[in-house]
Amino acid sequence: MASLGSFLLLATFVVCSYSAAVSVAGARRRSRALIESGVGAFYLTTALMTVASAVMINAFLTNDYSIKYVAHYSDSVQPLFYKLTSYWGGLDGSIMFWVFLLSIFGTLAVYVNRERHRELIPYVVATIAVVQMFFLYLMVVHKNPFTTFLTNVPADGNGLNPLLQNYWMAIHPPSLYTGFVGMTIPFAFCIAALITGHLDDSWLRAVRRWTMFAWLFLTFGLTLGMIWAYEVLGWGGYWGWDPVENAGLLPWFTATAFLHSVMVQERRSMLRVWNVILIITTFFLTIFGTFMTRSGVVQSVHAFGDDPMLARLFTVFMVAILTFSFGLVIYRLPLLKARNELDSWVSREAAFLVNNWVLLFAALFVLFGTMFPTLSEAIMGQRLTVAAPFFNKWLIPIGLILLFLTGVGPLLAWRKSTVRNILDQFLWPGAATATTLAATKALGIPVWASGLCFALCAFVTATIVQEFLRGGNVRRRNTGTDLFTAIIGLVGRNKRRYGGYIVHVGIVLIFLGFAGSGSKKEELFRLKLHDQATIGAFTLRNDGVKVSDDGQKQMATAYISVFQNGKPIESMYPGRSVFRKHENEEARTDVAIRRSLAQDLYLVLAPDVDFGTQTITLQAFVNPLVDWIWLGFGVLAFGTGIALLPERAYSFALAKLPAEAATTAIVLLIGLLSSGVSLKAQHQVDPTVAVTPSKNALEEQLRGEMGCVCGTCAHEALTKCTCGTAQQMRSQLRAQIDQGKGHDEIVQAFIGIYGGQQFLQAPIDKGFNRVAWLFPYLLGATGVFAIGFAAIKWSHHSAAPLPETSATLDDPALEERLNDELRDLD
Amino acid sequence: MTQRYIKIGATVLVLGLAFAGLFWSTLRDGTEYYKNLDEVMTNQSEWHGKQLQLHGYVVPDSIYRSRNNSLEYRFRVQNNPARATEPGSVINVSYTGIVPDTFKGEAEVVLKGELTSDGFKVSPNGVMAKCPSKYEAAAKSGA
Repeated sequence: MASLGSFLLLATFVVCSYSAAVSVAGARRRSRALIESGVGAFYLTTALMTVASAVMINAFLTNDYSIKYVAHYSDSVQPLFYKLTSYWGGLDGSIMFWVFLLSIFGTLAVYVNRERHRELIPYVVATIAVVQMFFLYLMVVHKNPFTTFLTNVPADGNGLNPLLQNYWMAIHPPSLYTGFVGMTIPFAFCIAALITGHLDDSWLRAVRRWTMFAWLFLTFGLTLGMIWAYEVLGWGGYWGWDPVENAGLLPWFTATAFLHSVMVQERRSMLRVWNVILIITTFFLTIFGTFMTRSGVVQSVHAFGDDPMLARLFTVFMVAILTFSFGLVIYRLPLLKARNELDSWVSREAAFLVNNWVLLFAALFVLFGTMFPTLSEAIMGQRLTVAAPFFNKWLIPIGLILLFLTGVGPLLAWRKSTVRNILDQFLWPGAATATTLAATKALGIPVWASGLCFALCAFVTATIVQEFLRGGNVRRRNTGTDLFTAIIGLVGRNKRRYGGYIVHVGIVLIFLGFAGSGSKKEELFRLKLHDQATIGAFTLRNDGVKVSDDGQKQMATAYISVFQNGKPIESMYPGRSVFRKHENEEARTDVAIRRSLAQDLYLVLAPDVDFGTQTITLQAFVNPLVDWIWLGFGVLAFGTGIALLPERAYSFALAKLPAEAATTAIVLLIGLLSSGVSLKAQHQVDPTVAVTPSKNALEEQLRGEMGCVCGTCAHEALTKCTCGTAQQMRSQLRAQIDQGKGHDEIVQAFIGIYGGQQFLQAPIDKGFNRVAWLFPYLLGATGVFAIGFAAIKWSHHSAAPLPETSATLDDPALEERLNDELRDLD
Repeated sequence: MTQRYIKIGATVLVLGLAFAGLFWSTLRDGTEYYKNLDEVMTNQSEWHGKQLQLHGYVVPDSIYRSRNNSLEYRFRVQNNPARATEPGSVINVSYTGIVPDTFKGEAEVVLKGELTSDGFKVSPNGVMAKCPSKYEAAAKSGA
């Protein structure tokens, strides 16, 4: 199997080079056949990568430890889910996953735009193919994930790092990669537009949605990383300005800037060079980020290890990207001239421009800070490091300025705002800001930076509410419906604008969370048995430590009772786990978090437990408002979803349904969502919960068939799961058993309680397991089918006479001249 | 036109200078020197009172914890790995707080803190024990 995998990678590389070469040749010779051949070969790379991925996943599922990569990142006791996610657990596999994703996205983008942007397609294909070639080359010559052991094949693997065996960490990399890889598509279109000189705004329309999509996943990936850091690493925070985190943040800044400045280009035909540069920079930063974290250039806690060979290859590639792209930009500068000038600094485009500068500055600053140790060593010969305080000192004001601009932008008119205009728009938001600032001051919150942040949050919220109300009122008068329906119709009419506002609401919530960290409390307690300590409003009592073992890991768990105002409110169980095969590594901290919207209580058990006297060291944090960050992301994703939704889908829904029905549906949906949201639905290992023995065979059988529904524990069977939810389910089951019901009756009763079948553990021989085993074969079959389909389609094409293309599309030179002349008319 | 360019140029200059000034001032108290123990010990007086990140190895069996408050640590750190024939420079270190699991004799550590006349004082949360087996490095050990 391993040799098949290596062969497939090699084959993909060859097909990719063919695709790139033939596309360029076809475009230059205006040969329809060559271009189509290039596109076909490009589709073929996707099929080949799909099969290669199937081979890889199959190797993980069948525990093929002769492949080094499998042996390093998997072992026989690893749950199936983590075996699948081990695909991208290490460098070699993640490069392969990268190429796989890129081929899929590229194929989609090419397929969707093949008619609309026919003149760009060959160069889009060539650009993406070249990027793919680079990564394939990396794999073929240096980091082949299918490398095998020549001798001494291990009997079992090392297993995925325990820290990574976490739900969030399993989905964090694919999300981040989707964001990173997605940025290649706008870049490819940008390069194609530059090469062909079709620099009107039409190519922007093709990439706007892609950028938004990639941006959403980038944001999602960053948020997941934060949640993971918060829940697993156990230092009480979520962002440490680690180089690896910064690598994800850099393209986020520039992509955000692009999403804003693209509006200025569409509206006013300004900032055209700027937009091109932003896209190139964003793409470059995704590559640079990968380089930075993977090559050992920057040392970080993540310690990815030195790899000078990788560093060299990446450097060559990055220099090539920069020279080629910026060379093209300079070459095309005459075509990129702005068609308008900035009329006034008190205008929306000016606000966007400033927002762009600030975002770009933030990106450069983070880049500088991240590279500082390397830079200082190169320049001064001394390795100097900058730590989190340095980043915070700079990025807090930058963040506040951005937040302020988020509010200001929508209030200003395009071109020029009049004084009257400004007074009218700023009255209420200004009042809200002043009130909040006064309130925070009265509450004793420091003005810098939390108080100011709260005030600006109020400001932005007020502007958004005002926008919605004013727009809604106008529409209500025009259509004669109620205000709520009018607002929904408004969002439907201008999805991008109002979707964007909803994204801003999400940003405000996230900033609330950031502001909360200003009042964070942190304490360290040494607690003997039954000792008490107080942090914030909480009193903690040490009720002892226990040691347990579940076969995969050994756990030490502290029992902590939490009191508020003298009343017990919670039992918390911070612990540490030492994993088999990872004994000489740091134990995994099992953080205990008590969540609430106002503040989280966050407990970490320090390693120096004295089991004899049951004395523990407890690190306790009170993190106010943290959960708003995650909620904010939810709102942000919702807003992006609205903006991303195809125009057609929306108008279809609105046309078929009476407006009131839509309103009702949304009200119901909101009601449903808010009733279902339970912030405490976190899987918490409750060591007081021992799995009591089953009463009879039926109960044992049913326990095996049912899974815990707490939602975070990977749906563990009731025979094993020890969280509170599982305990509750077991007692429900016992009650049913006691009533003497049969198997099917009990299942029916449970369906009644949970309103669905989600409590059922997928039985061994069907459901998820079967799908999981089938997955690689399905994937492989899809690939084979795609190859066959392409071949058949191809052969048909050559038989049929090629349709003549219209003159305007077929003659880029003519169109270019036309464009130039039209431009001169302006 | 030229007037406009002068305006722009002046703005850029002022902003640039302001940023450079701010950068310089924040960098000065935001940075820490990353040094190996030997580099510091050869010229001790120069490093007194400066924020340092000190790289070294914990001397085997040198970790001492006071009885009454077991968050107080005293240990020695040497420049070279424990298995090396020469230990290199050795320094006394004091620290109060939680240490990572991997902190033990022979461990490779980076300590944040200050050099004083009676040894190295580590600032809170300033002990980082290098974890050689995380992520990619794990691949090396397995290979």
